[in-house]
Amino acid sequence: MAVLKTILYLIVYPGLLFLFVYSTFCEWFDRKVYARLQNRMGPTHTGRWGLLQPVADFFKLMSKEDIVPDKADKTLFTLLPIVGLAIVVTAGLLLPLWSVSDAGAGMVSFQGDIIVLLYLLSLPTLIFFLAGWSSTNPFSEIGGTRVLTMLFGYEVPLFMAVLSPAILADSWRMAEIAQFYRDKPLLILPNLLGFVIALICVQAKLERTPFDIPHAETEIVGGTFTEYSGKKLAFFRLMTDIELVVASGLVAAVFLGGFPGGIGLGLLNFILKTLFVIFFLTLIRAMTSRIRVDQVVSFSWKYLAPLAVLQLLIVILIKGLIL
Amino acid sequence: MRLAVFLPELVRHLFKKPATVDYPFKKLEVPKDFRGTPFLHPDICIACRACERDCPAEAIEITAVSDVEKKFKMIIHNDRCVHCAQCVDSCPTNPVKAMEMDHLFELACFDRHDLKMEWIFVRALPKKEPKPAAPAAGPAPS
Amino acid sequence: MKFNIPIGPQHPALKEPISLRMTVEGEVIRDVDIRLGYNHRGLEKLAEERSFIQCIYLTERICGICSHSHATCFVQGVEKLMEIEPPKRGAYIRYLVAELERIHSHLLWLGVAGHEAGFDSFFMYTWRDREVVMDLLEMISGNRVHYAMNTIGGVRRDLDEAMVKKILDGIQVLRTRSEFYFKIGANEPTFVGRLAGVGYLSKQQAIDLCAVGPTARASGITADVRKDDPHAVYDEVPFDVCTADSCDVLGRTVVRIKELMESYKICEFLLKNLPAGQIAVKAPKRAKPNEVVSRYEAPRGENIHYIKSNGTEKPERLKVRAPTLANYPAAVEMLKNGFIADIPLIFAAIDPCICCAERTVELVNARTGEDRVLRFSQLRALAAKRSKNLPVQRNAVWPF
Repeated sequence: MAVLKTILYLIVYPGLLFLFVYSTFCEWFDRKVYARLQNRMGPTHTGRWGLLQPVADFFKLMSKEDIVPDKADKTLFTLLPIVGLAIVVTAGLLLPLWSVSDAGAGMVSFQGDIIVLLYLLSLPTLIFFLAGWSSTNPFSEIGGTRVLTMLFGYEVPLFMAVLSPAILADSWRMAEIAQFYRDKPLLILPNLLGFVIALICVQAKLERTPFDIPHAETEIVGGTFTEYSGKKLAFFRLMTDIELVVASGLVAAVFLGGFPGGIGLGLLNFILKTLFVIFFLTLIRAMTSRIRVDQVVSFSWKYLAPLAVLQLLIVILIKGLIL
Repeated sequence: MRLAVFLPELVRHLFKKPATVDYPFKKLEVPKDFRGTPFLHPDICIACRACERDCPAEAIEITAVSDVEKKFKMIIHNDRCVHCAQCVDSCPTNPVKAMEMDHLFELACFDRHDLKMEWIFVRALPKKEPKPAAPAAGPAPS
Repeated sequence: MKFNIPIGPQHPALKEPISLRMTVEGEVIRDVDIRLGYNHRGLEKLAEERSFIQCIYLTERICGICSHSHATCFVQGVEKLMEIEPPKRGAYIRYLVAELERIHSHLLWLGVAGHEAGFDSFFMYTWRDREVVMDLLEMISGNRVHYAMNTIGGVRRDLDEAMVKKILDGIQVLRTRSEFYFKIGANEPTFVGRLAGVGYLSKQQAIDLCAVGPTARASGITADVRKDDPHAVYDEVPFDVCTADSCDVLGRTVVRIKELMESYKICEFLLKNLPAGQIAVKAPKRAKPNEVVSRYEAPRGENIHYIKSNGTEKPERLKVRAPTLANYPAAVEMLKNGFIADIPLIFAAIDPCICCAERTVELVNARTGEDRVLRFSQLRALAAKRSKNLPVQRNAVWPF
């Protein structure tokens, strides 16, 4: 029975199937809001209000011809999308999405899961780099190096911004951090700065405008994905979508008080809060133009990192003086 | 230089009607003088071949079917037509032109031969004062 | 580590076929090689087999965006050859369409610049507003892209009162909207950060490399055919030549924005002072043997047509110098020592229209790789030799 239950968790909810459905929905939401912000329509025809458009895109890519370049490292080239997808889905399991016990833990929950989640979210960057490097295309290689260059920019501020609420809550477990802020909602306020920094860094991690430098289509064609096609590209796209869900779930769990309320209400909470975060990400995407990779690094070290330190300082002061 | 200057404008449009049109399902009107596809009024045509001569794309072809009956065949190759309406300007018939443009613009088709249009007609007699084929028949403005 | 990356002939940033071969060192461009000739259409040869009237529609199809520019440039020349002049009203309408086209072209460019910089919202909003002027042009001429307004000796369609009012309203809408959005564009730090200081071209370089149009004006050169050599109505219309001194892509953007505002002014002036009378005079079919050079300030810069007539109803020779061709050397200079990320922006800043500029073919022996330069007469002799024994055929007969 326990095995069956675990398999159910892994495959259906909150595992693969749920993440697939929800991430395609999030992509639809992102596209629709982006289009409406630009006075356009966005997807309209596949399914009601175009809801099935991302699913249709996925299946269309799945049925397309799959080409592997002659000079590419074939094993690596083929394995990367699968491994990448596995990584982000695993990260999705760590979200404190659903109460197994009363503590409001997720499918897997332990002391230090926030660190593991951050680590799992860093891995896709490496996957992208390897994907670019293994396709032996000049555009992909430039894209790959840009991925790594950007990583040095946003990773540190992201960690500092996400960990500062954890320090205040005195826990390394997401469920407990969320519980802490639900008990003392006013303490969410000192973390506002961290929330903004985390949003910007998540935007950079997901490689969306203004940080879509590694696959800037007008500069380096498809960037890291130039040589990818068919099923592999479909997996990569799904992987980016799931990463969007997981990253926004992380931000929502840490900064917005998690997702209380059991299976039903907790799910509703999850959807509302992640969509709230995704809405902000879409706003940033619509508001800005792409910047250069050197501007990313200087921006994050000149502004984001000092601000993140300031956030840490605020949190430590509050912890020391008030609590 | 300010942060998030575009924000108010973007959010203002979030709940407004989109500026785009759901094209194949909803269509916009073309203006009244739109240059669509050329067509012939076979009962007026005097078969002077002015249109054939002036057509820059060689899209018009007039051949005599029978010289006795004064019967002519006109083919418009819409696959070659560039929709410049020079044939309408060149047409000397007055006041109703034998060549005219309609408002059709969705001409896509799987075979270019399907775009051919054909008329077989008996030549109309020219009116008493047929105007010469002027390249520009500019109407007198008010 | 130096390596080569090919930009084009198929590349998302360049919608037309041209090959830029970049030698890059990391993210920095060290050398650029431009390869042309992917889209040679044999247009000049074709013009020699068309009557003057047919050639208008042919020259109009040199470019999709500045279609009116090429047609007007050609018609100006032919009118000089035929020694006729369009009536006042005809000329006013002709240059009204020209200015509307400039508005549409500059709005298009601004949108493209936004897109190349990854600022898609700016792109969407400018292109939405561009629809206003496109609709006006469609109303005036009957088509959105190839207006076909010109005929030898005037224009083909007249404006009535209702149209004049509609155009004035449309221009008012455009003016308020463009001012608003340009304020936004100029204040968005990520956008300005991408444009400022990119693609530097000093004034001296711009003169040396014969840059034209907004590219030259952004380097502080006041070169505008409309002012330097006022053709037709431009000596009656008050307007300023817009320049900028920053010599970079930001300057080119600023010049285009200023020119938009000037174009709105010119359009309003032309509409308010629209004289009554005929819109076209009757033109002869033939032109006396002569030759003429016609200049015209297209949205991208100076457009030159050389026309030679031989007494028949067809031109003996038509030579087209599109503005893009004059800006290629400057573009190469601008690209050097830039970042890869700036390639699309710098190259787009000259507003390239590659198909317009494709007048040359380089003859390269595929086996030996050696190339040779032929004179026009030699090429002609070659062509005559090749086609001497072929049966005469109509041009537009399909092979099946």
